[in-house]
Amino acid sequence: MAPIASSAPRLGDLERAVMEHLWEAALERPEGLTVREVLDCFSGQREIAYTTVMTVLDRLAKKALVSRVRDGRAWRYQPCDTREALTAQTMRRTLDDMDVTDRRAALMHFLDGASEDEIEDFKAALAEIETRRPRLGLRRPRLRRPGKKDTA
Amino acid sequence: MLVALAIVLACPVPRVMARLSVLRSAPRAALFAWQAVTLSAIVAAVAAAPAILPLVLFDGQAVWQHFVVMCVAGGVSLVMIGRLLLAGHRIGHRMRVMRTRHRELVDIIARHDSRDAALRILAHPTPTAYCLPGRHRRVVVSQGVIEALNERELVAVLSHEQAHLRARHDLLIEFFSVIHETVPALVRSPAAMSEVRLLVEALADRAAARRAGVPATTRALDVLAGGRAPEASMAVSAAGMAPVRIALLRRGWPNPLLSTVVYTYAAALLALPCGLVALAWG
Ligand SMILES: [Zn+2]
Repeated sequence: MAPIASSAPRLGDLERAVMEHLWEAALERPEGLTVREVLDCFSGQREIAYTTVMTVLDRLAKKALVSRVRDGRAWRYQPCDTREALTAQTMRRTLDDMDVTDRRAALMHFLDGASEDEIEDFKAALAEIETRRPRLGLRRPRLRRPGKKDTA
Repeated sequence: MLVALAIVLACPVPRVMARLSVLRSAPRAALFAWQAVTLSAIVAAVAAAPAILPLVLFDGQAVWQHFVVMCVAGGVSLVMIGRLLLAGHRIGHRMRVMRTRHRELVDIIARHDSRDAALRILAHPTPTAYCLPGRHRRVVVSQGVIEALNERELVAVLSHEQAHLRARHDLLIEFFSVIHETVPALVRSPAAMSEVRLLVEALADRAAARRAGVPATTRALDVLAGGRAPEASMAVSAAGMAPVRIALLRRGWPNPLLSTVVYTYAAALLALPCGLVALAWG
């Protein structure tokens, strides 16, 4: 039904794989990974070129999902947010969008047609779960502008 | 006449139709009628200026006067068409950009499903479900949905979303959003917009009920509309749409007679402005 290519590793799949490696490494290596180190994570899994990893990291930086820091002659890449934080942000944003006519139509929410009260309740429930859940300790340099070079 | 028709179709008719809750029993026919009203109003409004031409052209005016009148009439129509096209382009583009951005993000942060290549599961305890229409479609559910629903209810939710994707309900909503944003604020009808939205949901609910049964679908709706941790749960607000959708599902399948009446009404609406234009020029 959905046109999703499964044979060739698409850029989207690689982006996900790279993010997963960065998230995994973030706890032990909060300073981030270099392109070479990210490439090493893939060894034995799949054949990828150094330049491909660079391209993928560049795209992720443009999407403000990773930030990079100068380390000598190399760049170190680190995730801007934990996966949990990004997931919560995404959930909240889909609900915020329900206040705006055309943004609301971009996603077709199961609750579409919900009253404002219901949406408010929903957001409150979301916030409550957020506060109850202990934050994962991960250094999170706030990077809003896509592609901006981090100075931290 | 056309001006009057455009005004009637744009103002009182949607207001009355939004209140006729019988229409909700036949969502497919009702949505067709809503499209008919909207299209008909647009045709009447666009054709109004050129239709006045025959009235003024044979009054023995000078040739340059004819020319000015024709230009003004044509100009008014062109401006209206232009505004619609521009709004359509702007809104359509904005939606596509938003969907692409959201899809790329969800593809990275959510779990993929081995059986359904378009399904994404967000690791979050709050139950939520939505779909991303378009060429690269996705159905997104949270872990909370999977935990709160049994298998049959989950099928209901997924069938609901797939019905949206299959029938391209997004295009329908997009069409009405464009009109809604383009018409003057005076004739804009939020009640009509939310009624259309409800009808689209009712249609998808029906598709879900056909696959998973009415009880499972209503329970899925109930749980998702509740959407909150048990300790925080309070009475669902009376104005909410979920109770309405549940009541609609329980009301059963549409009466064929009602559907026929609504379809006939819609056809008449479409024929009206065309007939008037023919009359004006004939
Ligand atoms: Zn829906």
